[in-house]
Amino acid sequence: MSSRTSRTRRGAAGLTAALALTLGACSAGGDAGGGGDAAPGEVSGDITLLTPIYEGTEGQRLLEDELLPQFYEQYPDVTVTVDYTTYGQLNEKLTTAVASGLIPDVMMMGVGWIEGFADRGILANLSEDAGYTQADLEEDYAPQIVEAGMWEESVYALPIMLDTRVGVARMDLLAEAGYDHTPTSWEELREMAIALTERDASGTLQRTGFDIMSTDLRQGFETMFFSSGGSLFNEDFTEPTFNSPEGVETLQFLVDLVNTDGVEDIGFTSTDAEVNPLLNGRAAMGIAHNSLWTQAEEAAPDVMEHLQPFTIPGEVPGMFFGGTMASVAAGSDHPEAAQALTEFLASPDAALAANEQRGNVPALTELLDSDYVQGNVMVQFAMENLDVAQREGGPPAWLEIRGDIKPAIEAALLQQQTPQEALDTLAAGAQAAIDR
Amino acid sequence: MVLAAADGTGTALTAEATPAATGPMAALTGRLRGSRRRPPRVTPSRSGRKTRRAGWLMVAPTIAHIGLWTLIPVIATFALSLTDYSVFDAPAWIGLDNYIEIINDPAFRKATWNTIVYTFWTVPVSMAIAVVIAVMLNQKLRLQNWYRAAFFLPQVTATVAIAMVWLWMFNPQTGLVNGILAVVGIPGQAWLVDPEWALWAVILVGVWQGIGMKMLIYIAALQNIDENLYEAASLDGASAVRKFFAITLPMLKPATFFVFVISIIGAFQVFDQVYVLTDGGPANATTMMTYEVYRAAFQDFRMGLACAQSVLLFAFLLVMTLISRRATRGDEE
Repeated sequence: MSSRTSRTRRGAAGLTAALALTLGACSAGGDAGGGGDAAPGEVSGDITLLTPIYEGTEGQRLLEDELLPQFYEQYPDVTVTVDYTTYGQLNEKLTTAVASGLIPDVMMMGVGWIEGFADRGILANLSEDAGYTQADLEEDYAPQIVEAGMWEESVYALPIMLDTRVGVARMDLLAEAGYDHTPTSWEELREMAIALTERDASGTLQRTGFDIMSTDLRQGFETMFFSSGGSLFNEDFTEPTFNSPEGVETLQFLVDLVNTDGVEDIGFTSTDAEVNPLLNGRAAMGIAHNSLWTQAEEAAPDVMEHLQPFTIPGEVPGMFFGGTMASVAAGSDHPEAAQALTEFLASPDAALAANEQRGNVPALTELLDSDYVQGNVMVQFAMENLDVAQREGGPPAWLEIRGDIKPAIEAALLQQQTPQEALDTLAAGAQAAIDR
Repeated sequence: MVLAAADGTGTALTAEATPAATGPMAALTGRLRGSRRRPPRVTPSRSGRKTRRAGWLMVAPTIAHIGLWTLIPVIATFALSLTDYSVFDAPAWIGLDNYIEIINDPAFRKATWNTIVYTFWTVPVSMAIAVVIAVMLNQKLRLQNWYRAAFFLPQVTATVAIAMVWLWMFNPQTGLVNGILAVVGIPGQAWLVDPEWALWAVILVGVWQGIGMKMLIYIAALQNIDENLYEAASLDGASAVRKFFAITLPMLKPATFFVFVISIIGAFQVFDQVYVLTDGGPANATTMMTYEVYRAAFQDFRMGLACAQSVLLFAFLLVMTLISRRATRGDEE
């Protein structure tokens, strides 16, 4: 993480933050100055960008050496100070920013985050300020992606990239076991997973038939849950429904895979594994992120031809999407400049470059035909199946709820609680958070 | 008489002046007897006033610093612990609701228990190892300073960096720990994801990291022990072990109490290694009080609840410190 914030600004920020924190005075107030009608030459101001993407040397180089110079050509009187962070620390950055009253003019945040920040008045209403409508955006994006940037029928964020989770099979390993197709139902998935699992003479797991532990357990569970036909919340997001029969059935399925069928052992792999087990042959199938293809290009080019993505075959095809969206602070002193930067980052060229750098899925439908998408099997598959993809989030309290999902899934997988107990406890906590 | 005692003139009646006092009056006079007689107020000279002003001027930055960065935040923490405060909205008074929620929260109860277990094992174990290493490094060894630096290195290295190394060492497939166990025929474990082992793995890192500072304090204390005591013991034929238990350990008692107090405070504030190694999991098996504070504040945006958790953590530390102070009082006197 690094920052290009000037010393003077940091000093002022520190002092203001201190006063705000110690006195408990906070306000996200301020009216968004309106209008996105100004000509590029009339837009000016020093603005800040908080981003959890473009991280690392490569990302920073892309943003600062390629993208921002293009933006400055169009908007020569705007300067952008970039504050880099990661998704793991984005909450902390935003919390301290809000507490200190120094909210970045442009904030990039994840799917599921917009509702909470829009509800609390942190984000500018782009429908009111810049004239965006749901219908307009749906010409360029899939409807569920547009919805991820909306709150109470107004647009608050523009999609840039998607992170998807789908099933992936190593077809060479499936062929060795006599399968020539990916699973077509949960039952077949289970049967194939058992058949593809290998243990040595001492019982130590050598290859899992279906890996669920290389991806975040919350997102892995949700991918399976979506395929069961379940939804996380009721239609108006006032009640959690993940403890529905579909939810319990999903969690029971995962618990059985691990504890009854011995398809995967706790600790066999993890989200921080250096190489995804699908790439080194330690998994025959699994739930994986779309960046698996980029990893394969670097770590295991010889297995790329054997990687076959598939939607989880349940009551409905299961596919999860998260992603990164750009939003404008409601209290920005330079709303036109902030809107201009937001639009630029979401524009086809800038979004394509950012997606390519991270191996992610472009949100813009028109980018399906790009060389990058056509050359990346995982990304292409994700874009072609976005109509079945479902997202997490919904209620403004989602950020509070989501942190409790992983421990609940773990408690069930470790058999500390039954799936019903784990999800009921989780739902009770979620309901309390929604009601607060 | 009461007025006289309270007027600040230093002319209050004492027990000697009221020998016949009984009942409440006796109690009052008893208190007065115990109170210090104020000296007559003396108007300071001009140079005295100047000196006093200079003194206040010199301590003013420190007072301002403590007031702004310690006192106000502490008061704010106590106040906010009684509110529903999410950073995004103004605090709303909710009385003791946060505390009631904490008491009924199984995750925080688990975190409290984990913190106690972590403290119970890391503090005495690392102290015992530190004192042994300190005694060994207090001998006239070759490369003595190098050894001392090596043992102190974990203390000055960023915990996150240390935790990353341990993360690799605990890796079930490629980690050093399971590699060594495999050599001797012991099956490896999923150290950080198995709830049976995860807390012990975190404790091991805590013990290892805590040795350096304790060792340094013990070495400083060892160098203050009079060599004559060891010479006299040697003349009496005492063995090295006997000298360690009869001379070294008793003479290290003040240092031991100091190390004990700061170690307990440090152990109760453990955060970094949990954050990096386990994220509090699996299934909250390694969550700690500080981690729950972090989670409430920065994941759930519930600053009021986080403040209440911090107040409870503070209360824990206060009690532990008072117990330690009581234990050391005799020694200090």
